[in-house]
Amino acid sequence: MPLPAALAKREFRSTTASQLWERCIVGSLALCSLLTILITVGIVLMLVTQSWQFFQSEYVDVKEFFSGSEWTALQAKELENAKFGIWPLLSGTLRVTFIAMGIALPLGLITAIYLSEFASHRIRSILKPTLEVIAGVPTVVLGYFAILAISPALQFLTGGAFDTFNATSAGIAVGILCLPMVCSLSEDAMRAVPDSLREGAYGLGCTPFETAVKVVVPAALSGIVSAFLLAFSRAVGETMVVALAAGTRATATFDPTQQSQTMTGFIVEMIKSENEYGTVQYYSLYAVAITLFVITFGMTLLGQLIRRRFQESYQ
Amino acid sequence: MSTVPISLTDQDPVAMTSNSHRRKRNSRIFYGLCVAIACLSVVVLVVLLASIGFQGHTRIRGDLIKNSHSELNPDQAGMRPAIIGSLAVCAICALAALPLGVGTAVFLEEFQPRSKPMRWLHGFIQLNIANLAGVPSIVYGLLGLTVFVYMFNVFGQIKVNESSGLELFGVQHYYQILSLEPGQTVLVPKTDMTQKTFKVTEPIDGFDAAGNPIKISVWNRKASPKPTDKQALRQTVKLGAIGGSYSKHAWYYFRLPFGKSFVAAGLTLALVILPVIIIASQEALRSVSPSLREASLGMGATTWQTVRNVCLPAAIPGIMTGAILAMGRAIGEAAPVLVVLGAAVAKNSGPQNLMDSVVTMPVLIFNWAGRPQDVYQEISAAAIIVLLAVLLILNSVAIIVRGRMQTR
Repeated sequence: MPLPAALAKREFRSTTASQLWERCIVGSLALCSLLTILITVGIVLMLVTQSWQFFQSEYVDVKEFFSGSEWTALQAKELENAKFGIWPLLSGTLRVTFIAMGIALPLGLITAIYLSEFASHRIRSILKPTLEVIAGVPTVVLGYFAILAISPALQFLTGGAFDTFNATSAGIAVGILCLPMVCSLSEDAMRAVPDSLREGAYGLGCTPFETAVKVVVPAALSGIVSAFLLAFSRAVGETMVVALAAGTRATATFDPTQQSQTMTGFIVEMIKSENEYGTVQYYSLYAVAITLFVITFGMTLLGQLIRRRFQESYQ
Repeated sequence: MSTVPISLTDQDPVAMTSNSHRRKRNSRIFYGLCVAIACLSVVVLVVLLASIGFQGHTRIRGDLIKNSHSELNPDQAGMRPAIIGSLAVCAICALAALPLGVGTAVFLEEFQPRSKPMRWLHGFIQLNIANLAGVPSIVYGLLGLTVFVYMFNVFGQIKVNESSGLELFGVQHYYQILSLEPGQTVLVPKTDMTQKTFKVTEPIDGFDAAGNPIKISVWNRKASPKPTDKQALRQTVKLGAIGGSYSKHAWYYFRLPFGKSFVAAGLTLALVILPVIIIASQEALRSVSPSLREASLGMGATTWQTVRNVCLPAAIPGIMTGAILAMGRAIGEAAPVLVVLGAAVAKNSGPQNLMDSVVTMPVLIFNWAGRPQDVYQEISAAAIIVLLAVLLILNSVAIIVRGRMQTR
């Protein structure tokens, strides 16, 4: 009886070579994933070294940077007169962000409750794609929408109390931008709540409202809070909307009808002004960016940790 | 012993009915509120699309995709260089981000480590990726500006009309000198890079405008009459003619640092969408049934063979969907490109070589939308419609791919 062809030929491949090859592959894949750490390190390194240059400058006072209420990096003709106090930019960012959160959080949460608790299959099939489309709209388009429609509408409704560029219209546009994110993350969290909890609540005589608000939302709270934090950090880092709609004057007020340059808005403005590499103004970019990065990174990290740490698991 | 709870003995029927009425009413009100707010998001989308369509519909015409940006003649301004630029930037972005993203996802999903420190590293990378997804895109823009455009200034700065940095290949430097034939020039190879101009004193080897090697002769006005032959005129320059610097770039021109080039912009966008691609690919790989994987391992395949022959083919529709959605994000992303390339939009063609600057669609829209004139407001709305159309096409492709995956 003849041997099978495979055994007769005995053309086996070398295992040593293929093991070596396998090692190489695993090594290169590991390098790929180490690159993601390298990116983080690169960001931190860049921000720290470049903003170090900024704080080293004789025109910059570190104390003034954190407490000063004037930011005139671009407006000042002479470098000696330029004031570098982060507070106006920070307050501009916070104004826009709080307005945005005031819109995105309640609306997003209620839409998420509706989607996960009440909506029929047909309504879901309309609402979900709508939210996905809003999430996919480029931010520059929403910025354009803010100056095209929201700002004139605000001026019309209040009889011209708002500036052409103001914090509110930018905030509303950023809110629209964050809404799908809040909604989908919260909905995921609520869908993960097992039906037995809902059935228990209904069995005790709760109305649908009470079931949703007193049982499902608390059970999904960690996911919802982390969604809020992620949306907050997204709103803080949002650029194109505020660059178009929030104006270019850095103001330290709480008045939402005024112009308010944000940190990201300043970065764009500085890039547009095309300052030379190496000037104090150029390095001020990085000082603003490191503030921005610390805030958003902290928020995101907190959101991730809350989601991991406090996730309720129902098995 | 049997004391009945007070709530069971002391029941006021009126209060109970009113209480339950109130609760039911609250519930109905809440339901109505939910429906109204859910409808609001549909209304917002409709208003958004309608207002932009209304503003821009008159400008949707041939000029928009045939012409380039024009300061003098905004009526005819178009976005052709921006469309080409966006595609070029996205091509670089996909080339860089896809292999890296899928590679990272495969490593994280398929090669689960066993030792404790490695497991810790694994979890750390995972957390890090989630954090990177939350970093504002403008910070990536600054990273691109520092690392790709200036490279921490290690190689020196790039200045206009100056050969700078470390030019690796694809460039030749010449002096350009006017020949006797009007409008024609000859080129003399540059040897000393610091010397900006060159004075012709004796016959020298050079090239004509088409790049053919020629012998350049010198005509001395006082010594001899002007040559009459056309061929000779083209190859002759005046004695003492001065030539300025001129560089010829091949399409593969490459230098360090990258400067404000579309390669730098594409790599920056790759950083922005890398976390998105990693997370999507991880989910696609996770949804591959473990039985397939175990069957392959049981047949004696190594882990990498399993990944290559079983997991990746099964996960490819999911990975593609995620990648296409990420590309949609990259096309619409303005902030990092703006930071890397600057806000200038006066460019009338696509990129000529790897180190050439480009305009992208979102940057052009940003520039136009920031101008107060009505004309620019209208064409920026039209440009937005074109951008949204491109995104729509991309997303439809993603939906088709997803549909295919589900039918399998």
